[in-house]
Amino acid sequence: MGLYRTMAIAAVTLAGVMAGSLSPHPLGAGTAHAEPMQGGTLNSTLWPEPPGIIIGVNLNAPTLLPATKMFEGLLTYDFNLSPEPVLAKSWEVSEDGLTYTFHLRDDVKWHDGEPFTSEDVVYTLTEFIPEVHARSRPTFARAEVTAPDDYTVVLTLKEPYGPMIRSFDAIGAPMMPAHIYKGTDIRNNPANRAPVGTGPFKFSEWKSGEYIHLVKNDDYYLENRPYLDEIYYRFIPDSASRALALELGQVQLATQNDIELVDVDRLEAMPNLEVTTKGWEWGAPISWLEMNVRREPFDDVRFRKAVMYALDHEFIRDNIFFGWAAIPTGPIHSSSPFYTDDVVTYPYDQEKAKALLDEMGLTPDANGVRAKIGLLGLPYGELWDRLSQYIKQSLGEVGIEVTLEASDVAGWGSRIANWDVDMSTTYLTTLSDPALGVARSYITENQKQGVLFTNTSGYSNPEVDRLFAAAASEPNPDKRMEMYHEVQKIIADEVALAWLVELQWPTVHSANLKNVVRNGLGPNDNFAEAYFESE
Amino acid sequence: MSFFRRFAQNRGALVGLAVLFVIVLIAIFTPMVSSADPWKSLGRPLTPPGAQFPLGSDMLGRDVLTGILFGARISLLIGILSAVVSALIGVTVGAVAGFFGGWVDDVLVRITEFFQTIPSFIFAILLVAILTPGLTSIVVAIAVVTWPPIARLARAEFMTLRRREFVEAAVLSGVSQPRIIVREVLPNAISPLIVMGSLTVATAILTESALSFLGLGDPNRISWGYMIGASRTVFRQAWWLSVFPGLAIVSTVLAINLVGEGLNDALNPHLKGRVGVQ
Amino acid sequence: MRHLGFVAGWVVKAFVVVLAITILNFFLIRMAPGDPAIVLAGEAGAADEQFMAQVRQDFGLDKPLPVQLAAYVGNVLTLDLGQSYRAQRPVVDMLFERLPATLLLTGTAYLFALIVGPLLGALAAMRSRTVFDSALMVVALFFYATPIFWVGLLLILVFSVNLGWLPPFGMQSLIPVSGTLNHVLDVARHLVLPALTLGLFYVAVYVRLTRASMLETASLDYVKTARAKGLPEWRVATAHILRTALLPIITFAGLQAGHLVGGAVVVETVFAWPGIGRLAFDALFQRDYNLLLGVFLLSALMVVFFNMLTDIFLRIADPRIGGNS
Repeated sequence: MGLYRTMAIAAVTLAGVMAGSLSPHPLGAGTAHAEPMQGGTLNSTLWPEPPGIIIGVNLNAPTLLPATKMFEGLLTYDFNLSPEPVLAKSWEVSEDGLTYTFHLRDDVKWHDGEPFTSEDVVYTLTEFIPEVHARSRPTFARAEVTAPDDYTVVLTLKEPYGPMIRSFDAIGAPMMPAHIYKGTDIRNNPANRAPVGTGPFKFSEWKSGEYIHLVKNDDYYLENRPYLDEIYYRFIPDSASRALALELGQVQLATQNDIELVDVDRLEAMPNLEVTTKGWEWGAPISWLEMNVRREPFDDVRFRKAVMYALDHEFIRDNIFFGWAAIPTGPIHSSSPFYTDDVVTYPYDQEKAKALLDEMGLTPDANGVRAKIGLLGLPYGELWDRLSQYIKQSLGEVGIEVTLEASDVAGWGSRIANWDVDMSTTYLTTLSDPALGVARSYITENQKQGVLFTNTSGYSNPEVDRLFAAAASEPNPDKRMEMYHEVQKIIADEVALAWLVELQWPTVHSANLKNVVRNGLGPNDNFAEAYFESE
Repeated sequence: MSFFRRFAQNRGALVGLAVLFVIVLIAIFTPMVSSADPWKSLGRPLTPPGAQFPLGSDMLGRDVLTGILFGARISLLIGILSAVVSALIGVTVGAVAGFFGGWVDDVLVRITEFFQTIPSFIFAILLVAILTPGLTSIVVAIAVVTWPPIARLARAEFMTLRRREFVEAAVLSGVSQPRIIVREVLPNAISPLIVMGSLTVATAILTESALSFLGLGDPNRISWGYMIGASRTVFRQAWWLSVFPGLAIVSTVLAINLVGEGLNDALNPHLKGRVGVQ
Repeated sequence: MRHLGFVAGWVVKAFVVVLAITILNFFLIRMAPGDPAIVLAGEAGAADEQFMAQVRQDFGLDKPLPVQLAAYVGNVLTLDLGQSYRAQRPVVDMLFERLPATLLLTGTAYLFALIVGPLLGALAAMRSRTVFDSALMVVALFFYATPIFWVGLLLILVFSVNLGWLPPFGMQSLIPVSGTLNHVLDVARHLVLPALTLGLFYVAVYVRLTRASMLETASLDYVKTARAKGLPEWRVATAHILRTALLPIITFAGLQAGHLVGGAVVVETVFAWPGIGRLAFDALFQRDYNLLLGVFLLSALMVVFFNMLTDIFLRIADPRIGGNS
C-alpha cells in the first residue's frame, strides 16, 4: 500500500548560511564542482499531501519540507548539531547557562515587506509556540523572553537547560510575523493558507492533490540568493511512481520515506542520480520493538534480553531495510554527540535466548511453545509489515508464539497510548538533544496514559530518572556527557526497549542538483544555497 | 435427464469441477502434508523463478510457490464462509419477506434496498477497518455486502411458492409457519439459491483478494490477495510476485463460476444462462 | 398527478436514505478504535495533553455522542459536510475537487462497456454455439473472474513497463504540457489503462447479460411467430429480440451507474488516479470521519439518483411498468 508510511515523526530545519559569509559551504552531499547556475526549477516529491504548511500548527514531515523554505529560525545546526547563524547573526550564553542573548540581523524583511524585528521573536516564543507548538512548548516555558531593543532578544532561564541552544531551528522555533498573527486565532488565520515568512522562497500556490508551488524571494537578505527560481513540491501517491519520476528526471529530489528502500540501490546506480543518507542528524530516527513491562512476561528483564538475542539485527538491516539502516546499541542515536557504544550488546544467539527463557521457567510445551504474545506492528506500509513478520518468525524459532495484530494508524496509536498492547513496533525521532527526544521514552514522569510518544512501555528506573533530570539542567558539557553515557549503559542493560535499527533515510537527487544536504537539517534546510550545476 | 447427465453436458462445468477439485485438495492437504513454512525466509530476496524457487522468492526470500499452496486454504475458507453467512442472512430475510408479505415484506424490502444503496466495496472496507482486519471481520464484511441479491431471489421464489396449492394446504391444515418455510417451501426454492450461493463464493474470493490487496487482510494468514498487495511496490522488477498468485485467484474464481453455470443448467433447466450475472 | 406523486416518492426516498446513511455511518465510524487526535498526534510525532484536548475540542469530539450526532445530522441536511480533520478544509470542496477525475474515469469505462458489451453480447447470441460465441464467452468469463487490481497490474506491466507506450500512473504528466489540445491528449493517454481495466470488467458483465437476455427472448413465442412469418434473421434480431432484450440491460446499467463512484477505489489506488475512491481510502486510514461520511453520502446519493433515472427511463420505454412496484 505504501500510503501512510510517511506519516510520522518529525524532521528538521532550516537554513544554513554561515555568518558573515556569502559563499556556500558545501559540507555534505552535493558538493559543488561546476559553476552554480542562477535560476532553474526544482521539482521535489512530497507525500502525503500535508494538512497545512505552518510549522507548529502542524508538525508532520510533509508540512516541514516546504515550510522550512518559507520560514526560518534564529539558528540552524551543522552535522554535529553545533549552532550556526540564520536570523540571529550572533549570540552569547552566560557562564551560568541562565541567559541567552541573540543579536538579530537588521536587514530581514517579511515576504509582505514589513521588517523583521525582536517583536516577532518575542511574539513567536511567548505566544505562538505556547499556543500551538506541542513539541517546543515545554522548552520555551522555561524561559522569560525580553527585547531590550529592535534587534536584541534575551532569554532568561530559572535553571540551566542543556538542550536550549539546540532549540532555535526553523522547526523547533520558526519565526512568525507578529503583525499578522498577534491577537488572532492562530489555527484559523487566513495567512495559514498563504504563509508570510522570511525565507528564501515565497508561497505561490497550493493546488490540492497536485502540488505546492514556491517562488524565489527577490528581497531575500543574502545577495544573489537563492539560486533557484522556483520549487514545486509534487504529491505523487505511489512509491513506484515516485521512483519512476526520478528516473525520468521529472522530479529532481525525493527524501525520507518517499522511495522504497528496495529501490534505492537501483536508483543510486543510475548516472543521473545521487543518494545520500546524511542530513537526518537532527531527527536521528530509531526504530524499536516496544514491550509493555506492565504485563508478564515483559516485566522480567531476562525475557527482554531473550527477545534481543533472538532477533538477527543484521538480517533486519540487510533484508528488510536493504542496508539503509544501522544497528543501534541503545537509546541514543550513533550520530549524536552524546552517544557511546560502551554498553552491553546482544549479538544474534538463539541458544542464549532459549537459555534465558529456560531460566525464567518458560519451558516449551508439547508444541514447542513457551509463551504466547501479541504484536501490534506499525501500520506504515509493507516494509513495516515485513518487519513484523520477521519478528513473529524469529521469536517463534525460540518458542515465543507471536500473533500479529492488524491495525490502521488510529487504532495503532490509540492502543499504544492507552497501554493496551503486548508488543509494538514504532520509530521515533530522537531529536537534537537527548533531553528533547530520548528522555521522553524512558522517564517515569512521562508515563501519560492516552498520549502517544510518551513513555508508553512503562519502563521505570529511579536512577535513570535522576540521571536524565540532572543531565538536562547540567551546564557543564563534559558532565552532561558522562551522565548520558551512564544512562545508556543502564538502559541498554535493562533492554528498556528492543532497539531494532537506526533509520538512514536516503535523499535521492539529480546529480546536477547541489547543496541539497549541507547540514544536520538535511532536506529541511532553507535551500538558499541549493543550485543546479550549469551545463 | 438426470442431474449428473445435465451437468456433464456442460463441458466448461466439468473442467471447472476438475480444477476446483485440485484446488480443494491443495487447500485441505498442504498444511497437513507439508512441513514447509510459508513465512520462513529460505534464501535471497526477489530471486526470479528457477531451480531454487520454482515460482521465485519474495521480498523476504520466502518461496512464492509455498505461499500460493498455503494461501489456497485461506482464500477458499473465506469464500465459503462468507457465502454461507451471506446465504443465511439473505435466505432468512428473503424467506420471511416473501412468505409473510404485507408490512413485514415492505420493511424487509426497504432494508434490502437500503443495503443495496450503500456503495458495497467502500462499505466492506469500512467494516473490516472498524472491526480490525482478521478472518471474522472479513467474513462479516463480505457477507454484509453480498446478502441483498440473495434475499431478493429468495423473496421472489418464496412469493411464488407461497401461492402454490401444497403450501396453502399445509397452512390450512395447521402446520406451524416456520415448519412450512423450512420443510415445504425451502426445498422447492433451493435450486436457484444453490446456484447463486456458489457464485457468491466466487464474489467473496474476489472481494477478499481486493481487501487483502489494499492491506486489509488477516496478517497471520497468508492469502493470494495479500501476496499481490504486499509486493506491489516491486511488481515492476519482480513480476512473478503478482502474476502467480493472480493466476491462482483467476483459476479458482473461474472454476467456481463454471461449476455454478453447470449447476444452473442441471438444476434449473428453464433458467439456462440466467443467473450468471447478478 | 401520477408523475408528481412519483417524483415526491423519490424525494422522500432520497431523504430517508441520506438520513439513514448519516446515522449508520456516524455510529459505525465511532465504533472504530482511535480518533483523529491520535492520528494527528501520530503524524506530528509529538503530542501532549493540551494538543490532544485541543484537537478533540476543535472537532467537537469532547461533546456527548447524541449532541455530536444531532449537530452532524443538522449540518448534513443543510449541505454542510464539515471540515476534513486532516486537510483542515471543507469536505464539500474536497469532494467536488476530486469528483471530475472519478467521473471521467468511470464515465469512460462505463460508456466503453455499454457500447462494446451489448454489441459483442448480441453478436455472440446471434452466432450462438459457434466457435466465435464460445471464444467470446471464455474471454468474458475470464475478465469476469479476474480481480480488477490484477488486470490493472498486468496492463501496467505490458503497456508501461515493457512496451513503454502508456503512462502507468496519474491523470496527467507531472510537468504540465502547454496548450489545451496537448493537455487533452495528455489526459487521454493517462486515461487509457485505468479506463480499460475498469471497462473490461464491465464489458464482461454486459456481454454475458446481453447474450443471456437475447437467447431467452429469442425463445419467446412472438419471436418464433416473427420468424415463422419469414422475416430476415437480422430483422428479427434487431426489431424483435434486441428491443425486448435491452430492458434488463438498461435496468442493470442504471443500477450500475449509481455504483460507479464507489466501485473505483481499487482502480484509483492501482493507477494513483486522483479521484473520490482514493480519497475515501485515504480518509478511512486517517480516520477523517467527516470526509469519509462525505464520500459515503455522495456515493449513496448517486445510487438513489441513478435508480430514479432508470425508473423514469423504464417507464418511458415500457409503459407496462406503471404504478408503484
